[in-house]
Amino acid sequence: MSEQDHVTKEVRRETGSGTDLWSVIISPTIWALHFLACYVAAAIYCEKLGRDAPLGDIRTLVIVVTVLALGGIFWSSIRLWRVHDRSLTDDDFEYEHNTPEERHRFLSHVALMLCVLSAVAVIYVTIPMLYLETCR
Amino acid sequence: MTDKSAETEQLAKVWENPGGWRTLSDVNNSVVGLWYFAAAFAFMLFGGALALIIRMQLFVPESTLVTSEFYSQVFTLHGTVMMFLFAVPIFEAVAILILPGMLGARDLPFPRLSAFGFWCYLIGGVFVCGSIFFNSAPDAGWFMYPPLSTEQSGIGADIWLLGLSFIEVASIAAAVELIVGVLKCRAPGMHINLTPLYGWYVLVVGGMILFAFPPLIAGDILFELERLLDWPFFDVTRGGDPILWQHLFWIFGHPEVYIIFLPAIALLAMIVPTFAQREITGYSWIVLSALGTGFLSFGLWVHHMFTTGLPSVSLGFFSAASEAVAIPTGIQIFAFIATVMLGTVVRSVPMLFCLGALAIFIIGGLTGVMVAVAPFDFQVHDSYFIVAHLHYTLIGGMLFPVMAGVYYYYPLVMGKQLSRKLGIWAFWLMMIGFNTAFLPMHLTGMLGMPRRVYTYGAERGWTELNMISSVGAFIFAAGFLLLVWDCVRPKKDQPQVKRNVWNAGTLEWAARFGDSWGMRSIPRINSRYPLWDDKDLLRKIDEGEGLLADAKEGRRETLVTSVLDAQPIQVLRVGGPGWLPMIAAIGLGMVFIFMTFKWWLLTALGGVVFLVAVLRWLWTGTAEIPEKQTKDIGGGERLPLYVSGYKSTGWWAMFITMTGDLTAFLALLFGYFFFWTIHPNFPPEGVDGPGWFWPMVAGLLVLLTWGLTLGARIINGKGQSGMAQLLLGASLVATIASGFALAAGPWTTGLDPTTNSYPAIVWCLVLWVLGHLIAGFIMQAYGLARLVYRKATPTHDADLWNIALYWHFTAFSGVLTALVIGGFPYLT
Repeated sequence: MSEQDHVTKEVRRETGSGTDLWSVIISPTIWALHFLACYVAAAIYCEKLGRDAPLGDIRTLVIVVTVLALGGIFWSSIRLWRVHDRSLTDDDFEYEHNTPEERHRFLSHVALMLCVLSAVAVIYVTIPMLYLETCR
Repeated sequence: MTDKSAETEQLAKVWENPGGWRTLSDVNNSVVGLWYFAAAFAFMLFGGALALIIRMQLFVPESTLVTSEFYSQVFTLHGTVMMFLFAVPIFEAVAILILPGMLGARDLPFPRLSAFGFWCYLIGGVFVCGSIFFNSAPDAGWFMYPPLSTEQSGIGADIWLLGLSFIEVASIAAAVELIVGVLKCRAPGMHINLTPLYGWYVLVVGGMILFAFPPLIAGDILFELERLLDWPFFDVTRGGDPILWQHLFWIFGHPEVYIIFLPAIALLAMIVPTFAQREITGYSWIVLSALGTGFLSFGLWVHHMFTTGLPSVSLGFFSAASEAVAIPTGIQIFAFIATVMLGTVVRSVPMLFCLGALAIFIIGGLTGVMVAVAPFDFQVHDSYFIVAHLHYTLIGGMLFPVMAGVYYYYPLVMGKQLSRKLGIWAFWLMMIGFNTAFLPMHLTGMLGMPRRVYTYGAERGWTELNMISSVGAFIFAAGFLLLVWDCVRPKKDQPQVKRNVWNAGTLEWAARFGDSWGMRSIPRINSRYPLWDDKDLLRKIDEGEGLLADAKEGRRETLVTSVLDAQPIQVLRVGGPGWLPMIAAIGLGMVFIFMTFKWWLLTALGGVVFLVAVLRWLWTGTAEIPEKQTKDIGGGERLPLYVSGYKSTGWWAMFITMTGDLTAFLALLFGYFFFWTIHPNFPPEGVDGPGWFWPMVAGLLVLLTWGLTLGARIINGKGQSGMAQLLLGASLVATIASGFALAAGPWTTGLDPTTNSYPAIVWCLVLWVLGHLIAGFIMQAYGLARLVYRKATPTHDADLWNIALYWHFTAFSGVLTALVIGGFPYLT
């Protein structure tokens, strides 16, 4: 990272426009979209093709969507890790100082853990698709 | 020093609660919150009495104490009252009561909205509960499944629908109020990472209400259209499907469980640190688990529908999400336990209830993980096992924490201490009674007893278990009555408690009993537990060294701060006592109540009362142009008294309301595509759609009127108020034209909504947009009038910002509706 980047980053944080509430909810929102996509796609597919239809095509779709969702969560995690990674104050898990810097660390920690939770939930939701054979 | 005492007098005068019969016109959070709480508690006692009737009836087999019909009314009303009139409103009540103090605000940003919500709730609640005395209470279970409820219920189903729709208004009003409160009204310096956990939970729950309640409102609309006008949304013979109701109900219903649970557990997050005498462990973990639970709770609804015959892959998705939600729920429980273990626990009644809550909730949570597994659920579905499970989660997750909250906050609100001895008695009676009543129900359910049966045969082998349950229920009730007695018994001889009686660390305890203004002055906050960390804080507050220590202009004021870092940005003038919120609620109540009886003239009259009251309220009490631009808040800072656009609280309130509104629209749209999914031919053979022409015209006109409204706001901002008036005038015409064009589609093609679900859902979408166009028309006319009468000017244009914001959303739903009803039939 160049000196220039370093400085801009510092200024951005001081003025309070780094991690905000929106970036905290990115990963659970990805989970929600993934969940909705899987459910809606499977529901329409099974209703239109009947209960004996094999899940082949829809399984591929769900796996693709899952890979996309995990990719999105991973991207979000990397972004947050960079904020969380460097601390100007201290390295504890209390986040109790009254500075914008600490607020960034706090929000990025929350967001990062939500990324983990969302990734787990995305994987959970995908599992049934991997072992079921038909729309029964 | 005289300066300071003059200031104190001003503050006291400005924030004085009205006396005598005018008390009812009060809007201050400390008073409205208390009314709200008392009403919720009263409804809960009523619901509890109904529960005792149930237990008396089931005490012996083949009992004839009550009839089957009456029993159906009793269990339906029990569930309805406990969920809609107690569990959700108690959250609103407690939040309105204590949140401002916790955040260091003088009041919530929209006190009159809280009062309006309260009156809606009270009127609707009394109406729904009163029905049982006329033998016309709802009787199809608290989730009102059609076709039973649409085809066989009497007026009770309408009472349920309309009464509760009315109460949902109160919930959404509270959500708007509380979200804006947490985000914008925190004391200066209270960064988002220093916000009390209760605030975080309220924020999450407020957000959940916005996405959970609207689908139920959409469902209510479909349901009532079927009951009132015979539009066959749930009638299979005419292309409807009862499963649609189940989807809409549970998209609301499951998040609702967490809407109930999270704010109650939030009380634990405030109480546990106080009695452990240390800060909460894992603050950020609790925040993330609240957020995670909030999100995941929306992926669970189908687990209430495991036995409806959905494809097993759908069941799999929801079963997986239901297991996943246990992770964040567990994290917060562990954080509380860790706090208790690391601290030095002070033995006290609130703490007793907290521990009881954890124990009971964990049992409910474990059976929850069991029933989240679909094959197990198939076995126990609709049996007493489910009754046991849901009571363990709700009583452990909501009732016990709320009781802990009652013992904890009673001294703050009432100035007296509750009895320790009675409290311990009440706790053990409730704890033992509850477990005696509900633990055996797991077995009763496993032995096959279905829920909601009014009696059972002796040969079934359920007799002893039911007897034990009934005895337990009465012990539970005794504990409750003891608590109620402790709350209401006269305490004249008791000394007033000292300030911050529990030695708590959070800001609400800085309040002195009897001060209706909240805090003498608003302090700067530097930590999560300011009362522990800053020993000088109380003195600074009391001596008026904080901010906004005066009320020279004779107006009620509170500080607005920025969302993340709580930097002061505005002095917000909030509403004082007035009758309009109550009159508006009465008007709206008339609409909903008289509609039940199909008394159309009176319904219309109610509508007029509501509209006039709301318009007057807006005209006289909102977006007022202040007599000066800025105000000195102390500490050398001057802040503006008027802001508009996304800096203002009003804009955020509109944004939040419209987000909820959009969710309801999307739920109706879901209905359209649901019917498309289940029917091989949609639109059905022989039925023409509304054509593409009129929907297209309507879509374009909606875009035009949106553009004109937005243009009016922008041009006015550039100083050309006259031109803006012209644009708004033109937008009125465009709005009317778009309404007619939209209706022309289904009208000219002769779609009859009573014949089939397709024309019905098309008409329903059209009606939804028409309703929004009418509201938008009124707003445009209002904006025009504000400009004409110079109540809005190029520099004071909050009204126009909010109206334009409304139109962003309405334009979106209008255009989407036009595209769907006009375009979609050509795609299939």
